[in-house]
Amino acid sequence: MSCVSTADLSRYLLIGQVSRRGCLYAGSPRIAAYTLFRSIRQIRGASSHAATLAQVSARAVAATVSPLRKQLKDEARALKASGKKKKNKADNQAVPGWELTVGIEIHAQLNTARKLFSPAATSFNDVPNSHVALFDVAMPGSQPLFQPDTLIPAVRAALALGCAIQPVSRFDRKHYFHWDQPAGYQITQYYEPFARDGRVVLHARDGIAPADGDRVEIGIRQVQLEQDTAKTTAQPGNVHWLDFNRVGLPLVEIITRPQIRHPATAAAFVRKVQMLLGSVDACVSGMEAGGLRADVNVSVRRADEAGTGRLGTRTEIKNLSSFKAVEDAIIAERDRQIAVLEAGGVVEGETRGWSLGSTETRRLRGKEGEADYRYMPDPDLGPVVIGEDLVSHLASSTGVLPDAEVDSLMDTYGLSSKDALSLMLLDDGGRIQYFYNVLGELERGLGLAGASDQRHARLAANWCLHELGKLSDLSSDLCMTRDGECRIPSADLAAILSHLHRQEITARVAKDLLWGVFRGEVSVGGVAQAIDAGSLWFHEISEQDYSRLADAVVQGEDRVMGEFLRFKQGKVKAYPQGKLMFLVGKMMRAGPEQQMDPASAERVLRARIEGVYLPALVAS
Amino acid sequence: MSARGRPRSLHLSHVCSSNRQQRRLLNHFISKTAPETAEEQHHPAPFRFTLAVKDNIATTGSSQPTTCASPFLSAHHSPFEATIVSQLRARGARVVGKTNLDEFGMGSHSTHSAFGAVAQQPQQTPPSQVQQQNPQTHQHDLSTPTKGASPLLSSQISAGGSSGGSAVAVAAGDADVALGTDTGGSVRLPAAYCGIVGYKPSYGMLSRFGVVPYANSLDTVGLLARGVGRIRELVVTGCEGGGGGGGEGGGGGGPLWEEQDNRDPTSLSAAARMRCVKGRKGYDDTSGWRKKKRAGAGGEVLRGLRFGIPLEYNIEELDPRIRDAWAETARVLQDGFGARAVPVSLPSTRHALAAYYVIAPAEASSNLAKYDGVRYGARDTEAASDAAGGVLYAGSRGKGFGDEVKRRILLGSYTLSSEAMDNYFIKAQRVRRLVRKDFNRVFALDNPLHERETFDLTELDESIDMEDKWGPEEVDFLLCPTAPTLAPKLEGVMSQTPLDAYMNDVLTVPASLAGLPAISIPMPVAPRKAGDVEQNTATAGLQLIGQYWDDARLLAVADAVLKILQGSSKPR
Repeated sequence: MSCVSTADLSRYLLIGQVSRRGCLYAGSPRIAAYTLFRSIRQIRGASSHAATLAQVSARAVAATVSPLRKQLKDEARALKASGKKKKNKADNQAVPGWELTVGIEIHAQLNTARKLFSPAATSFNDVPNSHVALFDVAMPGSQPLFQPDTLIPAVRAALALGCAIQPVSRFDRKHYFHWDQPAGYQITQYYEPFARDGRVVLHARDGIAPADGDRVEIGIRQVQLEQDTAKTTAQPGNVHWLDFNRVGLPLVEIITRPQIRHPATAAAFVRKVQMLLGSVDACVSGMEAGGLRADVNVSVRRADEAGTGRLGTRTEIKNLSSFKAVEDAIIAERDRQIAVLEAGGVVEGETRGWSLGSTETRRLRGKEGEADYRYMPDPDLGPVVIGEDLVSHLASSTGVLPDAEVDSLMDTYGLSSKDALSLMLLDDGGRIQYFYNVLGELERGLGLAGASDQRHARLAANWCLHELGKLSDLSSDLCMTRDGECRIPSADLAAILSHLHRQEITARVAKDLLWGVFRGEVSVGGVAQAIDAGSLWFHEISEQDYSRLADAVVQGEDRVMGEFLRFKQGKVKAYPQGKLMFLVGKMMRAGPEQQMDPASAERVLRARIEGVYLPALVAS
Repeated sequence: MSARGRPRSLHLSHVCSSNRQQRRLLNHFISKTAPETAEEQHHPAPFRFTLAVKDNIATTGSSQPTTCASPFLSAHHSPFEATIVSQLRARGARVVGKTNLDEFGMGSHSTHSAFGAVAQQPQQTPPSQVQQQNPQTHQHDLSTPTKGASPLLSSQISAGGSSGGSAVAVAAGDADVALGTDTGGSVRLPAAYCGIVGYKPSYGMLSRFGVVPYANSLDTVGLLARGVGRIRELVVTGCEGGGGGGGEGGGGGGPLWEEQDNRDPTSLSAAARMRCVKGRKGYDDTSGWRKKKRAGAGGEVLRGLRFGIPLEYNIEELDPRIRDAWAETARVLQDGFGARAVPVSLPSTRHALAAYYVIAPAEASSNLAKYDGVRYGARDTEAASDAAGGVLYAGSRGKGFGDEVKRRILLGSYTLSSEAMDNYFIKAQRVRRLVRKDFNRVFALDNPLHERETFDLTELDESIDMEDKWGPEEVDFLLCPTAPTLAPKLEGVMSQTPLDAYMNDVLTVPASLAGLPAISIPMPVAPRKAGDVEQNTATAGLQLIGQYWDDARLLAVADAVLKILQGSSKPR
């Protein structure tokens, strides 16, 4: 899983420096979490002349005289629709008689030290307007200076998306007026993007709609480099503050082909892209942190029109900032379009918005309000020439892509696909790195490297995922880095798990120790001392003690013992495990606290029943 | 009109410090370096020459805003200095002021300025008559050109544009050298009108960092001076005795052609410069070109050179006096100095002007998008909202720009619109390639930026003689007029349609489209007839165009030709 960080790779490829921290999971520490409000587009959204669904359909109905029969049918349908409870999302992936088509554009912030066209540093939540070069504020007479470093995460991203890297690409200006864009245009790659024709394969485990089967392939039309805009903070009294730190940050825009048929698949695609970008260290952060946002293009057509090859009129929903929003917005927009069409109306090509938690998309601007961007090749910027050697080097150093890694986690360690995926998605790839760190320490401590039995690996995965998750509602509280370290040092968790694996402590003690480390009550590297200090070592009672306890609980349980006899005699097929565990529970309650292992109790009890009590019952 | 009123008073406060009363009427400076700040100014090198800087080139002096002659930037103080200004200061330049221009460099007569039109001194007008003029008459309402003859303007002559202020500063003796910008002839045309030398270098040679762009793919920094020598010294041979060295531009007194500027992405890299110099003469002493010239003697550098006379430049609108002087110059060079005048054909010339007026406004509409009242210029907060989110741009831009700038922004916005892009912008770019191809075909030297092309002889004009079966004779330089007419009266200019004004650029835009070096030198013309009441400026501009990066030889040859035209070199 070696994944060289983008920063290290840049230094190596562009300056010829080799990272001195050449360990296997080398990565650069970064700010784990930040919040970036894309308020600007919300501002645009808020000012729209909202046309509700009702208005649209009312206008449409008024325009066309519908026959009475159809009107009655529509009314009945509307009544049914309004009276019906909101459908479960899983059941709402398709509408019979209609076919949905979705294309997605994803914007992701690249992981680079400098802006796309100026040597100003990239930053997050730093002092506003502290990282601004002349060109960033379009100072008259300033010129763009392309920063080649940005190509490394960009090309890695494109390779992870299976794209063909173009040997020559160019920059174009996209013109529109907005206060967050000081030059009056955004520099992007419209005519000749740097990567084309990629594909992303989604498996059932990625959470695609069941109707898409085991796997579905989504084509990527192109990936292009472009500039971010300034950050707007709205102040009371119609005042807007602008932070130009964000202006000119490098973004990649990933544009799919219109090949997505189901809302859940769209969300799965965005999730997968985030995972792919994270796995090659191309992107600074995930969707929740604002480093990734999506626009979706939605159209519907009647199922019997599918053969014509013509898609319905599409609308674009801008600026979706969570996976849930992607799925919900598509469902809402699909249903809106179907309602409009069934009412005899026409879907307008327009731009719409979505706010979290709403049930309807809202109109932002129609086609007539659409700006003509007047794309023009930027006359100051030469073409970007990407050599085959750079591409092949980046391809070879990209490391293992997520799908291969999930397979490997499932095959090697016996993890479930759900756990494997969760590990990889959490903390922008930090959690899986943490898992590897813990596992490495654990195997070293136990002397288990290369063991065929992977019980310890599942134990580590379980704790890295579930026990760690219980510590806090917010995974950001863990302060997980991309290197895979957090408030629980991996060595300490490995120490706890090592004792647990050897049954030197009980699971309950192990959990208490984890809390202790989390709260800082157990000092770093002090797990063993803490166990000593609290006398928490697990001193198990002897076999004889277990036998005595077993004998004690069996007394008076004749009916239960009868169940075992019936199994023995072949009258029931299933072993009465429940009854056995009932008796184990009695044993645990009867015995001394903190000195018993349920597994040992079960083993001894079962042996006593098999060896002593059943023969006795048979004999009697 | 408060937007216009403010810069006007700003202008007066700066210019009144000039003690030469009639100069004020020429209106060639927007701001002058105040004497006290001149002393405080940090000088990287001992004084060698005075320098006037066109006001679309960034300077940092406290008394020198960088206005571009636009109301939007009337109070814009640049936080940084243009590379070319630093480079010249490191070579002993003292900046005397910022010169007037057409707003953002868009115009051919320096009349479209928020600070009023520039005029050059009428040669036959007594100073007393000039002094009666009210300076406010410069403050023309440009949207409605005056048709009626204004007695106050009747004697004033166009300085050419857009670097008119720079040309007048040199012609009037206020500066030894002036910086201009040449996008489609904006240095060469005013030089021709004012009877001085104006040089446009190869695109990518001199840094544009700090030059407020009009059309980036065409913009070059140009130099104006009374003779060729100073320009040649700065660009090619370097200042003798060094310049004190260690200026911000680096290199001290070294030749400018060597210096790449990392802050200008279109500045040629050091490696590309060395590649271009290969096969070029005059950049070092080994070829003997420099020595030959430095001796300066009567034009022997011209011996054996072939000057192309482009047939397509002999346009109908060409003033007969200029046509005669052009032919006479070619004859003198051929008969008296051992050069050869060779007719050549540049068939794409007739489309070049149209292509220029598509490409340049397109780039301008993009470059000027930043002036929206948010960061630059005054915001019009009173007009109704025209944008989602309630911020107004149209009102601010409508009030902030002059008419010519607005005209070109509209033109450019249209040619870039999705419906017109293919028919205008893309076609114009194709024409641009043809123009370049034409030049590459007639020049003996290859263009180092492009693969050698093969040419179809059937494309040639029938009047061109074949030298051999491979085609017509190739030439070293093109010799042609700079402008079709002599400097017109301002009065007439004001009543011109924009299209008439665009016509002035017809002979200068082809070299700009191809990025080639070109220079305009003063060429005497005969008075039309005895007792001609029309203004009788005694000179027109003679233009020499060279192959890409052949600047060193171009300047040496221009120097020699100028000396012949001035009568200081005699044929042998």
